[in-house]
Amino acid sequence: MQGNPFYFYTSSNLVELTGEKANTLEELVTLLRRCTGSAIFYHVFQSYRERHFAIERYHSDFSQWISASLDEEALAERLGALDVRDYTSLRALRESIIAIVEDHFRKYPQSGYRQGKTPFFFCQSVSVVMPTHYVAWNLEDFCQIIGKIGIRSIHYHLIEARLRLGIHTNDFSHWFRDSLRKERVAQRIEGIDIYLHTLEEIRKIILQHIEEEMKS
Amino acid sequence: MPSICLMDYEPIVGLQTLEELYLLAEGLKGKRVKMVNSTAVGGGVAEILHRLVPLLNELGIQTQWEVIKGGEDFFVVTKKIHNALHGEPISFPTMMKEIFLEVGRENLSGTDLDQDMIVIHDPQPIVYIEAKDRTHAKWAWRCHIDISHPDEEVWNFLKGYVEQFDAALFSSPRFSKELPIPQFLFFPSIDPLSDKNRDLEPEFIDRVLEQFQIPRDKPIVTQVSRFDRLKDPLGVIQAYRMAKRYIDCRLVLAGGGASDDPEGETVLSEARNEAEGDPDIHILLLPPTSSLEINALQRASTIILQKSIREGFGLTVSEALWKKKPVIGSAVGGIPAQIIPKFTGALVYSIEGAAYQIRYLLSHPEIAKKLGEYGHEFVKEEFLITRNLRRYLLLFHVLSHPGERIIFL
Repeated sequence: MQGNPFYFYTSSNLVELTGEKANTLEELVTLLRRCTGSAIFYHVFQSYRERHFAIERYHSDFSQWISASLDEEALAERLGALDVRDYTSLRALRESIIAIVEDHFRKYPQSGYRQGKTPFFFCQSVSVVMPTHYVAWNLEDFCQIIGKIGIRSIHYHLIEARLRLGIHTNDFSHWFRDSLRKERVAQRIEGIDIYLHTLEEIRKIILQHIEEEMKS
Repeated sequence: MPSICLMDYEPIVGLQTLEELYLLAEGLKGKRVKMVNSTAVGGGVAEILHRLVPLLNELGIQTQWEVIKGGEDFFVVTKKIHNALHGEPISFPTMMKEIFLEVGRENLSGTDLDQDMIVIHDPQPIVYIEAKDRTHAKWAWRCHIDISHPDEEVWNFLKGYVEQFDAALFSSPRFSKELPIPQFLFFPSIDPLSDKNRDLEPEFIDRVLEQFQIPRDKPIVTQVSRFDRLKDPLGVIQAYRMAKRYIDCRLVLAGGGASDDPEGETVLSEARNEAEGDPDIHILLLPPTSSLEINALQRASTIILQKSIREGFGLTVSEALWKKKPVIGSAVGGIPAQIIPKFTGALVYSIEGAAYQIRYLLSHPEIAKKLGEYGHEFVKEEFLITRNLRRYLLLFHVLSHPGERIIFL
């Protein structure tokens, strides 16, 4: 069966320094309110991509800083539990982050003013998105390409896609479902826990799902 | 430096990384780029440009490297400016400003500005921006210096020039300033194929240790840095002594003395006095040609320290992490960008903290090993010359699409 092809893209980003920094939770919330969506995107999703080789306790830079610099472990854990798969817009994600931090203030009013060991520097990114030379027409092509494509491409299609498409899925599952009518593999890829695996591990899991689909 | 081509990095970074570099470069083929700095040899900037410029040319981006010329008086002034940007208060009279501007303009008058991108490195050639209106080029100022606490008068003088650029590039978020132009994060980089970082035969490492009479009978804790108070060699000795009360080890303090630093000899002799009588402390004054020996000492070490009081970026941390060594570093300058606590190393804030981490890591070799392994991967991702190349390619695209947050090629 042959549907529409899947064009593999990849994205790279240049990190822009905003010059703004937070020393306390209160300052963090102020900056969270006025920073660009690109800053939220960078600190929650993109910086993780640069540490794709290992599973850290927290993916988001906000959680990392709150844990390492402020020792507010309970708050770091709550923020760390936010799952990208529950969001299709940066606005909703920003609101959730702010709501969790403000709830923490209410419970522990003094926590908002405690100085961190190091400041949190707000960054944002400029992304450069480009097509690769790889195109898949069927599961066999896809399987070959996913085994060798750069991990930035996997991040772009699997993780960044949700916010780009504004839907609860990813580019791969979208293609398997709509173009190849492969609902089972689409669901399996949607079910990959991106927080418990490195991108290289995710590559292997995707390969495994597709190979199983081809055998069935 | 031997001629290296991009494919030589394939066994290190993988084909996927190189493929992405070729893709990024496709739309930039034929562009003309000029890099301008103030020295062709010595120092990290020249070291990076020696590798970067040929790689950009190999990718089809016509890149020239121009080194400005100046007399002794000019470089005395630029050295003072450098120190002032690092935070040392100086007097900055009109005469110094005139020398700085005049030499910069003399260099500018003979330069070819028919370029698409011009990257000015550090303050020395900053006056080139006066020619911005005479060219269609995009201009970036690459600042390699920690300007987080500069002398205000000197910074205000330079700021007038910096603001005319299309972008400023800083080595750490800590160094960024309030500026009306975009600022980007540009880490410096190490070259995994250079003598300082390439793999070495175990026999060579053994010979180097024999040469310096360092037995391998106990763990070796090493700090590689020039003998400078800001690198805190006496603090390192204290930390080693505190740790040695609990766990036996050797300390190696290895480095050169900068020719432009008259204090170096004093600091070296202070360190020697402090170490006197302890056969487990090895203080090595090395000539500037000792890249392979430093590489061997780092590889033979159990732990690497970088207990600086102030630091530019501190690329010795990346050099050590690249060799999969656990690193204990002070939270200053660019070190926190390289050490993610409990993940790629240990960040410390005091001599006592350094001593505790030495004890901890020597007592937990599995954790130390993991930190080194993650550190190696982190350096591969962020601090290799190939990553620096990627950042420049991205910068050239970004400067060609001002104001866009997502650029589709």
